[in-house]
Amino acid sequence: MKTNPDVIVIGAGGGGPVIAKELGELGIRVQVLEAGPWYGNKNWLEPNMNRGLAKESSNPEDLDGTLYRNQLTRLEQDMNDPVTGKFRWGTADRRRTPWFRNVPDPAMVWQTAGIGGSTLHYYANCPRAFPSAIDNEWPIHYKDLIPYYEKVEATLPVEFAPTTSKEALFYYGAEKAGFSINRTLDVTKNGYRPQPNAILPPNKHLMDPNYSLEQLSHMEGCTLSGHCGQGCPYGPKLDKMAKRTTAVSYVPLAMKTGNVTFRPNTFVTKVLTERNANGKECAIGVKIRDTWTGEVEELYAKVVVMAAGCVETPRLWLNSELPYNAWVGRGLTNHYMDTVTGTFDEQTLMKILGSPTVHPFVGHTSAARLDYPGLGMIENMGESPGLTAQLLFGFSQYGYNSLQEQSSDIWDQRGRLVGAELDEAMKDYSRTLTLLIVTDDEVQYHNRVELDPHIKDEHGAVPIVHYTPSKKSKERREQLVHIGTDMLRKAGAKKVHRADLPPNLFIHLQSTMRMGFVVDTSCEAYQVDRLFIADNSVDYNSLGGPNPTLTTQALATRTAELLAKKYF
Amino acid sequence: MAQYNTISLKKEVMIISTYTQSQVYTQASFRALIDALLPSSYEQYNYESTNNMEVHEYIMYSLDHDISIQQPLHHTIVPLSYPTAKMLDIAATQLMNTYQAQPYPHSLFPGGGMFSCLSRRDRIRTLSALENLNIDLYVLPSPFQNNAGLVKNVTDALNRFSMLGYYSEWPAYGSTRLRPPSERRLEFFPMNWQRVGYPGVSYGYRDFRGFLLRMNRSEGKYENES
Repeated sequence: MKTNPDVIVIGAGGGGPVIAKELGELGIRVQVLEAGPWYGNKNWLEPNMNRGLAKESSNPEDLDGTLYRNQLTRLEQDMNDPVTGKFRWGTADRRRTPWFRNVPDPAMVWQTAGIGGSTLHYYANCPRAFPSAIDNEWPIHYKDLIPYYEKVEATLPVEFAPTTSKEALFYYGAEKAGFSINRTLDVTKNGYRPQPNAILPPNKHLMDPNYSLEQLSHMEGCTLSGHCGQGCPYGPKLDKMAKRTTAVSYVPLAMKTGNVTFRPNTFVTKVLTERNANGKECAIGVKIRDTWTGEVEELYAKVVVMAAGCVETPRLWLNSELPYNAWVGRGLTNHYMDTVTGTFDEQTLMKILGSPTVHPFVGHTSAARLDYPGLGMIENMGESPGLTAQLLFGFSQYGYNSLQEQSSDIWDQRGRLVGAELDEAMKDYSRTLTLLIVTDDEVQYHNRVELDPHIKDEHGAVPIVHYTPSKKSKERREQLVHIGTDMLRKAGAKKVHRADLPPNLFIHLQSTMRMGFVVDTSCEAYQVDRLFIADNSVDYNSLGGPNPTLTTQALATRTAELLAKKYF
Repeated sequence: MAQYNTISLKKEVMIISTYTQSQVYTQASFRALIDALLPSSYEQYNYESTNNMEVHEYIMYSLDHDISIQQPLHHTIVPLSYPTAKMLDIAATQLMNTYQAQPYPHSLFPGGGMFSCLSRRDRIRTLSALENLNIDLYVLPSPFQNNAGLVKNVTDALNRFSMLGYYSEWPAYGSTRLRPPSERRLEFFPMNWQRVGYPGVSYGYRDFRGFLLRMNRSEGKYENES
């Protein structure tokens, strides 16, 4: 941008591009700064190899679906490796290390830097919050959110997921376990339903053998390829790709307003403020560092929006030495997750599905859910083999299955598997159904993001992340694990494995800059004027269990409206 | 497939000859690690050459490219593979000294230390002792010394790295597997994908069984129907 923008947005993940598009449509000029690379933009033909042909891009003509498809290889190690993957929390240059987070425990922080942020790898699950988790808890009401939910659902767009074998098996198990279908978006009772997903419905020719699958992958609509986690670049052009990461939904829409510029490879290291007449701090801009050249600059705007995520937003607040607030970085929730995996024999599957396999890698990676207000939710999950093995059989607070002397009559195996037992479990991969347990996680003050007093990276003090679940969260997770196990057994699983995942698995990070504590009901910081937040960190709680992205996007839409009304 | 392996194996023999003693030691330690964690390739594939697909190299690469920090005048990578190998040996020695593990008289992986003298089960016990901090943290090498959080974090990561390396496409990068990520090329179909029945990159699947629910958008409102 040649002149100062009206608004600077920090982060182009789930929230940033949404607020940018909404403001852009109101005629407000926005600059979005993103720390990671940009896939699918002609200015960065080799986004991991060099700094590219431009610093920023605002022309929708720069977007290129073919490039996106070539860059997103759908290979799990190339895309998802936490150290060198294209979807990692780190700089665009994969020869360099990821950015360090100090989590002093067994941990996985599954976040991606890049235009699209963690929605690049997310499964596009878009349930609304449970109304019971908002009303009488949050400082706003559920009905305040509904029009914004509707707008985001129509824009992404969101549609109930199609059924493939693994969903058919999920629904069968849920029915047998005594649950019935819940035909709603506003969940007030328990029951199962397809995931509302930001994935375009399958092309109507998908089952027609006159169209090859390769042809279909260039047409509009999901091909059930199962590559959600690897980005899934299938579609006729960039803004029609089947999986609706913000990189293909809100980013192109924002660019089309003619008012929004995105700048990748730009890490914000400080929010700049000054004191206004009444002595209160007021945001005036940011200090940035180019991740390729190391050059440092200051950029100015009338309003600054932090949308850097649940770890980086509080880190940036603290590194900027903004006013002290006891709740900055505090109250972290993560849906304290677990998995149970059922293995079925061929006869059982033939009877239920008419086929001897489940093939968990087919279809939306997560397409069926069981909502259970008061406890959380259960969803199915079918990842590729490497990601499956590491999450289900390589990550556990229980330790190694083979070292445990006590046997359980509930689970055949629990914890990490090694050697021959690992080989056997993975050989059965095609006949498994995995359920991800997602807990209504209680907010606790001691769960937090803070600065490491000893370790810095090129952007300042690194974050330390501490999380231990509350007694109530543990009890809820245990109940959900039993419900999930029952679903698998009732469906006819011959063997059930429980991962017993450790607490520090961060996929759904929320509530480190909570509404009512750090920000007001319009998501403006209480202590800094003209500074807003548009990511999961503003959530008052963990929504009762549902995946957080849609709520963040609804709130960002609402914040854009309130911000524009107040300052423009 | 076999042809590719022969080529990559030959290259490797040439590379190994230039390794220093500490590299040989680190390699042997991580071979001992994946031998305990991963299925035995020898039994699976009936040829010795794959040796767990050389996944120990993947783990070493990951550990040596995982952390970098800012020092007063420069930005430094903190390579973790060598201190991690040392940590495994110190923990193994502590298990032996307290009669919790029975070592073989010589290393099963030439050039390795105490960890590589243990049975597979005792090597798993060593990992378990480390993650439960049942060892003296004071005698560990930097950066693990008295750093319980890092010990737990890295010990856990050894398990996950092993599995991601082994069951992903990484081994099939063959002779390019240790090049910078953007220069790696798939040289054959990943054998473990074949083994578990994963078809790899796919354009799609014809397994559409209909919709249980649809969203109907009309006049900005939603109606749900089956």
